[in-house]
Amino acid sequence: MYEAVHAVPHGASTVARHAATAAESGFDGVVVRSRPGDDARDLAAVRDACDVDVVDGVEVVADGPGSARGHVGNLRPDHTLLMVRGGDAATNRFAVESPRVDVLTAPTSDSGAFNHVLARAAAENDVAVEFDLGPVLRSDGGPRVRALSRLRKLRELVEDAGAPVVVSAGPTSHLEQRAPRELFALGREIGLDEDAVREGLSRWGDIAARNRHRQSDAFVAPGVEVEREDEP
Amino acid sequence: MKHLPKHLQPRWRYLALGLESWPDAEVGRRAFQREAWYATQNLLGDPGSAAVDLSVLRFSLADGAGEAIVRVRRGETDRARAALACVDEVDGDPIRVRVRGVSGTVRAAEEKYMRGPSDDTEETRVAFRGADRRALRRGDRVDVETDGGFRGATRLDCE
Repeated sequence: MYEAVHAVPHGASTVARHAATAAESGFDGVVVRSRPGDDARDLAAVRDACDVDVVDGVEVVADGPGSARGHVGNLRPDHTLLMVRGGDAATNRFAVESPRVDVLTAPTSDSGAFNHVLARAAAENDVAVEFDLGPVLRSDGGPRVRALSRLRKLRELVEDAGAPVVVSAGPTSHLEQRAPRELFALGREIGLDEDAVREGLSRWGDIAARNRHRQSDAFVAPGVEVEREDEP
Repeated sequence: MKHLPKHLQPRWRYLALGLESWPDAEVGRRAFQREAWYATQNLLGDPGSAAVDLSVLRFSLADGAGEAIVRVRRGETDRARAALACVDEVDGDPIRVRVRGVSGTVRAAEEKYMRGPSDDTEETRVAFRGADRRALRRGDRVDVETDGGFRGATRLDCE
């Protein structure tokens, strides 16, 4: 199970602190949500120092599909996991229609921006849709009720379409991380069963493993691989 | 008042919590209890919070690390866990709550999951993101004071 974290300078904790906290909480790894233009990070050093995997991810936060498209093209080869922050309907649509995008994050930050057509496109293009539990964990009253109802609608749409789902608490500091068991318990209260949450947390790792394999030298095209020749 | 017969006495479970905050947070048992009640009521509603019947028995938090024992009704530990996950700050101080384990008695919870006072916190100066900063170090974890508040880091980030 993985958690996708916002690290310094976009959050209040460094990747290493997030990773140390995730290890304590029982996660297998963290996905870093860096942004286009960030300084390069030495993730290998963090990976060595902590007992968890650290995935080099990038989250494209764009004002519209035009600039998002440019970023996706530029960043895809350099990062293991590529996310596009959703929002308005056009950006959401661009993300789910791009097979090169791995995850559409925060698809319901603008209500009504996600619908059954986009859910079907996400399923077809294997773009995972994020269930962001952040607002459920960290807000209350009206905003939380709205977040919950959008999450409910999103769940109905992706279940119907069979689109892949990732789950995250979207922590901006290590203090906002919550352990998997806490997220399972919260999920049960809001109508997501434990298996769905577990699968959503694990999918980050599955996507990372798939992409690492694809980006390795042995991979040529789906189904075509270079096999090492046996020593004579 | 006469004691209830044994089989009618409520059965409790004790949740041992690990707590973490920024080093300048000053949070007491009462304030934490209040936030836990709010969180329970907000997530589970009045009937749910009556069913969970949560109360904070032990609480300590100093220099950004601490632990607590929370008593809930048996059979409601999962809902309590969900509610405690939603405690994200106490009086404006962000806090991380993690359930370390669940026991049937306070003593078992203490013996199994409480570690006593955490590693000593030492004040130090570190180089963090190209600037010399005041920081508080607890084991490998370093909380760096910046103009925009604390930043969570580790020894790895400060060399």
